[in-house]
Amino acid sequence: MWLERNDLSVFIREWSSIFGFPTILFLHTLGLAMVAGTSIAIDLWILQRGRATMPISIAGLNKTMWAGFAINTASGIALLLAYPAKALTNGVFYLKMGLVVLAVYIAARIHRDLLPTDGARVSAGVPPQARRWAYASLICWMAAIVTGRLLAYTYNVLFAS
Amino acid sequence: MTLPELIGWLTSTPINTLVMDYRWTWPISESLHFCGLALMVGTVGTFDLRLLGLVKGLSPAALHRSIRFGLAGFAISVITGSLFIFGQPDQYFYNDAFKVKVVCLTLLGINVCAFYGLEARRVLALAAGEDAPLRAKAIAAISLTLLVAIMCAGRMLTFFRP
Repeated sequence: MWLERNDLSVFIREWSSIFGFPTILFLHTLGLAMVAGTSIAIDLWILQRGRATMPISIAGLNKTMWAGFAINTASGIALLLAYPAKALTNGVFYLKMGLVVLAVYIAARIHRDLLPTDGARVSAGVPPQARRWAYASLICWMAAIVTGRLLAYTYNVLFAS
Repeated sequence: MTLPELIGWLTSTPINTLVMDYRWTWPISESLHFCGLALMVGTVGTFDLRLLGLVKGLSPAALHRSIRFGLAGFAISVITGSLFIFGQPDQYFYNDAFKVKVVCLTLLGINVCAFYGLEARRVLALAAGEDAPLRAKAIAAISLTLLVAIMCAGRMLTFFRP
């Protein structure tokens, strides 16, 4: 109750400017493209048996991914503050959160353990188990996107009061 | 055909019935529209970032192989996007955000042609670690800007409804 009535929630919800709620939704989409998009691009590179001839300076992509994750955490919290009851009473919301956590974990795992980030790994090539992780990553991101998008259509209540 | 006639025709098609009379057509299409977005912006955007100097450990050609999945994503988004237009044409044709989105998509198409016409051969021959030529970098920067603009205009559609 308090969560939807505090000043910040009301402000996010009712500030009628295009820079309010619509911009938060846009940022959430931009963050999606950055975090899921780069992760998907890496998965596809692995699945096409990509070989690196030198260490991938993945740091650049890694930064894009984490920047996207930061944008989506912030914009996601803002969206949640605007309509807390709408999300928290919807099972699909928890499913989406679980999928996002799993997808981020897999992406971090792929970065840390499987990508050719140093000379030894470059000569060893991408290990075969990387393919399984890449498939899992793709599935998790797609499922997270689908469940996230469905939140707009599956809620039962908009406000607690 | 005038715009009202076009809207009338779109509304009279069976596709309109499919979109408007079944509860789940729209939500499922929205979900797929965003999956297509992630595929397209992910693969094309990452390729653009490589040309701009990130992930230089991979050759542009290695990342370019994934563009076909981005193209598949684009196809998914065009199909689902068309369903929305068939469903509620007046919500789009009289919508400034939609007009901006269409202009940006057109510019993106021209930019893609510029890339394949002018730079693709040189860029795809680059090895890992090599820097892309300046003109290719400019094309990549334009591409990224347009992708973000398209997502922004798309997300703003709802708030510019007539």
